[in-house]
Amino acid sequence: MMTKAEALDILAAARTDEVVVTCMGAAVPWGERSHHALDFASVGSAMGHAADFALGLALAQPHRKVLCLNGDGSLLMSLGILVTMVQNPAPNFLLFILANGTYEVTGNQPVPGAGRLDYSAIARGCGLWQVHEFDRPATFRAALPALLQAEGPTVVTLHVAPENLGPPVRGPHNPPYLQRSLAEDAHALRQRLLGE
Amino acid sequence: MAQAKRILEALKQLGTTHIVSLPDNLARALLEAGEADPDIQMVPVCREGEAMALAAGLYIGGKQPVVVIQCTGFLEAGDALRGTLWAMKIPVLLLLGYRGYRTLGQPQKDSAAVFFEPTLRAWDIPYDFLGSDEDIPKIVSCWKRAQERSRPVALLLTEECS
Repeated sequence: MMTKAEALDILAAARTDEVVVTCMGAAVPWGERSHHALDFASVGSAMGHAADFALGLALAQPHRKVLCLNGDGSLLMSLGILVTMVQNPAPNFLLFILANGTYEVTGNQPVPGAGRLDYSAIARGCGLWQVHEFDRPATFRAALPALLQAEGPTVVTLHVAPENLGPPVRGPHNPPYLQRSLAEDAHALRQRLLGE
Repeated sequence: MAQAKRILEALKQLGTTHIVSLPDNLARALLEAGEADPDIQMVPVCREGEAMALAAGLYIGGKQPVVVIQCTGFLEAGDALRGTLWAMKIPVLLLLGYRGYRTLGQPQKDSAAVFFEPTLRAWDIPYDFLGSDEDIPKIVSCWKRAQERSRPVALLLTEECS
């Protein structure tokens, strides 16, 4: 099993001009590693819907890769997104599931089905074909460049150890992309995507 | 009954690019018209909360979506609406099928109808009614209101589209 830090370090090192949407336990640590104009934190937004939002971005911007760093608890709240991804295929969309088996930001309560769920099997069962999973940094690092180039939609499960982060919030004393309001950041992202 | 093709044409004249939807009897003809129209990208979802967030993503990505769902799904999607379209200040038109509208004046009311308008008001969603072709100009007025307030506005389908 990887640490979340190892997984995010690998992603940050490989990332170029993709849009990256984060939520929950990935939001603050990603913001500590990346200060990219196309980073967006689904914080203060609706739980469970970061992937839905990111899919909408991907469908709207087919010439850009869009990555969503989702949690397993978050995915379970809107699991139908895996089917929606098949029904509305975005070849430029990559959904990363940081699977730690817990609701990390509320005290590490286990998610339903923890230890028994096979997200890859669920994704394949929904009809997705670019489905991968990693639990070692070296194999993830080696595979990531090809994954970023592949025609998706792509689902990547990253088995990471749980940590003790509290809930992410917006405001000062945060990484830059968490300092403004959700609306300000959303509209700033829109302006950047539209080249305004 | 409002003609689905006229509703769709009005939406297209406003620049609508996508219809994000989950089927509803009242909007069935509208969704069928959208499917047949090469200028509209239909985006079916599994649950109405996805529709709110996905529509938000489409808008932030530069597109102009409309959400077409039933009022029961609207109720289900409450926090998704709050956390995406409302909190991100996104001016999207919501076409919401008003299940139980005709029961409001009757002793046995559809509970979906009982909760619907009070919930719209509680969630700060202005709304108007669309039941016939005479109401189609409201599509423009509701869309303009959404742009002015930079938040969602709803049109309630009280009759089945034809």
